Amino acid sequence: MTPALEISGLTKRFGDNLAVDHIDLGVPQGSFFGLVGQNGAGKTTTLSMAVGLLRPDGGSARIFGTDVWSAPERAKAMVGVLPDGLAMPERLTGREVLTYLGLLRGLDKDVVRQRAEELLAVLELDGAEKTLVIEYSTGMRKKIGLATALLHAPRLLVLDEPFEAVDPVSAATIKTILRGFVAGGGSIVLSSHVMALVEQLCDHVAVIDKGRVAAAGTLDEVRGARSLEDTFVELVGDQDTGVKELSWLSH
Amino acid sequence: MAVALTMAQMKVAVLRHAFHGRRAQTAGTGAALGALFAAGTIYLAFVDPDLLAAGYAVWLLGWMLGPVFMGGGDETLRPEYFSLLGLPPRRLAAGLLVAAFVGVAPLVSLTALLGLLVVGVRLGVANAVVAVPAMALQLAVFVLLSKVSVAVIGLALRSRLGAIASGVLNGAILAALGQIWVFFVAFGQTGVPAAVWYLPSGWGLLAVQGDWWALAALAVLVVLLLGAWAALLGRRAGATRTSARGRRPMTAATVNGAIVAKELRTWSRDLVRNHQLTFALSYGVCFAASPLILGWDGMLPYAGPIFVVMAAAMASNVYGTDGTALWLTLMTPGVSDVRGRQLAWLSAQAPVAIVLTVVFTAITGGPWPLMLALLSALLGGAAGLVPLISVFALVPGTDPHRRAGNPLRTSEDDGGLTGLAYLMLVLVIVTGVPAAFVAVRYGWAGVAVGVLTGVLCYWGFGLLAERRLCSHGPELLDVMRTGRKPETTVKFRLDQLSKTQKSIVWWCFGFGAIPLVPQGIIATVFVANDMLRHSWFLATYMPPGLRYPVAAAFILLGLAMYGTGLWFVRPRPSGEGAAA
Repeated sequence: MTPALEISGLTKRFGDNLAVDHIDLGVPQGSFFGLVGQNGAGKTTTLSMAVGLLRPDGGSARIFGTDVWSAPERAKAMVGVLPDGLAMPERLTGREVLTYLGLLRGLDKDVVRQRAEELLAVLELDGAEKTLVIEYSTGMRKKIGLATALLHAPRLLVLDEPFEAVDPVSAATIKTILRGFVAGGGSIVLSSHVMALVEQLCDHVAVIDKGRVAAAGTLDEVRGARSLEDTFVELVGDQDTGVKELSWLSH
Repeated sequence: MAVALTMAQMKVAVLRHAFHGRRAQTAGTGAALGALFAAGTIYLAFVDPDLLAAGYAVWLLGWMLGPVFMGGGDETLRPEYFSLLGLPPRRLAAGLLVAAFVGVAPLVSLTALLGLLVVGVRLGVANAVVAVPAMALQLAVFVLLSKVSVAVIGLALRSRLGAIASGVLNGAILAALGQIWVFFVAFGQTGVPAAVWYLPSGWGLLAVQGDWWALAALAVLVVLLLGAWAALLGRRAGATRTSARGRRPMTAATVNGAIVAKELRTWSRDLVRNHQLTFALSYGVCFAASPLILGWDGMLPYAGPIFVVMAAAMASNVYGTDGTALWLTLMTPGVSDVRGRQLAWLSAQAPVAIVLTVVFTAITGGPWPLMLALLSALLGGAAGLVPLISVFALVPGTDPHRRAGNPLRTSEDDGGLTGLAYLMLVLVIVTGVPAAFVAVRYGWAGVAVGVLTGVLCYWGFGLLAERRLCSHGPELLDVMRTGRKPETTVKFRLDQLSKTQKSIVWWCFGFGAIPLVPQGIIATVFVANDMLRHSWFLATYMPPGLRYPVAAAFILLGLAMYGTGLWFVRPRPSGEGAAA
């Protein structure tokens, strides 16, 4: 079966820094794929290149077999993206953002209205009808971002740090939505540095370290008998195991 | 004082990091221009103190109004950085003031204030001694007035009424400055108005000339302004109110309709854009109406066209101000974002421009062909150039939700923003030239030309912008995300060359002009005009049959040198970038 997302040899260099170094990854259809790594490991850069937001120096990315860079129109219609920290049309309300994007995605006006209604209700954003996105809290921004990713019912979701700054109640809601999406045949790639979350949600996982894939496979293949956190620290942690303390902090 | 010194050191450190590459070039150009103005001001000190006082009045206005158009002035050290330190407002303001003296603009202004010293030295020892504190105090007044006016406008921009009021006021002031001759004529003034001596910008000069009280007045003004700024800094930290107004539902049903609806909502809800629009409107009306004071209405009909040009300049970075929201456009390829924005820009500005032009031309009774020709050419030209310029010369903006307390500050590169606005002014005016020319010569045919060039600009420039957005979208997004433009590729290629190749390239580019221009082209001109045995032009010393061939050979040599240089640095496909 064609992978939902196939990354081969993606490379990106910023000046002297090789941010992503020939990464190969395959996300099988129907899988919940976790991408873990330290800050600056290259997760966001990899995902940006995979969905066509950042031009790679080399390599390719295919969404359900369609190349993101040579056939962007077809590839991008099949994916919903939640980038980390990018702006939105800031002077619109949540409902207006969804209406605008839905029309941009070529959906019918009535379909857009109905889906926007449901998404705002499920994500509990319908209480902020008059609030512009620029006035949203960080957690609300994540939620409206997720709504825009889901709006056109894509078959693949690429989510960069979807749970950051989201309160526990909303997080539970989002988890339910995402699990339902996978159960319905959808595929998800999410990046995170919270190991417990990835362990709880994902069935596949890849560990990225210094722009390379340190380990990849099903969750059980990667972590073995240990917890994902222990495996992760062993894979990417410094060899120096002594925990550094701040002597001046203890009285 | 420790706080102030630390802040000054911080500013030096930030500036040292910031002034690299393109930013350094912008700063260098600015400094050179400023030095030129400063030298001109010092020259005035030798000519006439009246003119010097007028010169300093212009500097003062520059400090006060400049930041309004140049992205909120210098904010290298934002007050927000220090909000957790718990500094008393006055110490914070004093520290920021000291840091504000570090930089290119204060240095240039201080140079201009050397004029005070010149005047002082020419008058006597005591006057020269007074000039030194006068210079320092005068500079402090400039910097503080700038900070206070930015802070006041920043406060005003928190409400729609304030945004509109300050836009009207700023537009009127700038238009009055541009039409200053009208007031001179109206008041029968032939020299410099006496008022320039009593503006705070003239107090330093008064002090140097022997009115010692003026020095004390400057000191008092500095203390007062510092207090005012400290108070304003305290108000700035407060978050903007969340709006609770009812929203009109979005009724668009098509792709273009959605983009237009989004843009129009942004225009009406973003108070900075409200301010820019009213500024352009006020500028156009005041500029065109001011000769009415003299009883001459010939300029009145131009209010509409001037408004269009100014409004286009204000929108010159339309993609940059939206910041990284561009990712949504990248994720929906096949949708023409540029066309939607063009339509939105037109539907926001065109009605105003049309009403202005028609009403004012009706009042003056013409010239109808010229005004209608200009209006249609400029509207089309501006609607085409706005997306084109903002895509090709994008100045990375700060994302709207990450902007600090100064709403005018939409980008860290205020020099780039200013340059873009001026570029837009010039280019939009150029799009109106053919229609205006034909209208003046042949009357109504000009309107047809105006409509034609307008439509062509709208369609053609829009198409170019759309293509650029398609081909370079990810690069533009990257520029906005990192705030840095990529280094020029020529430099990159030069780096790849070997030492020998580099020196060949330098020789070719450095000296190719000598055979090409003087020994080739100019020598040919001399030979053609029978100006023989001319200084060092070799061809002019040749026997008759060889003169043209020698000059031609030099031209060929020059072209060959440039060609060789270009061949070494030509773009070549390398392993990297193959995916592009």
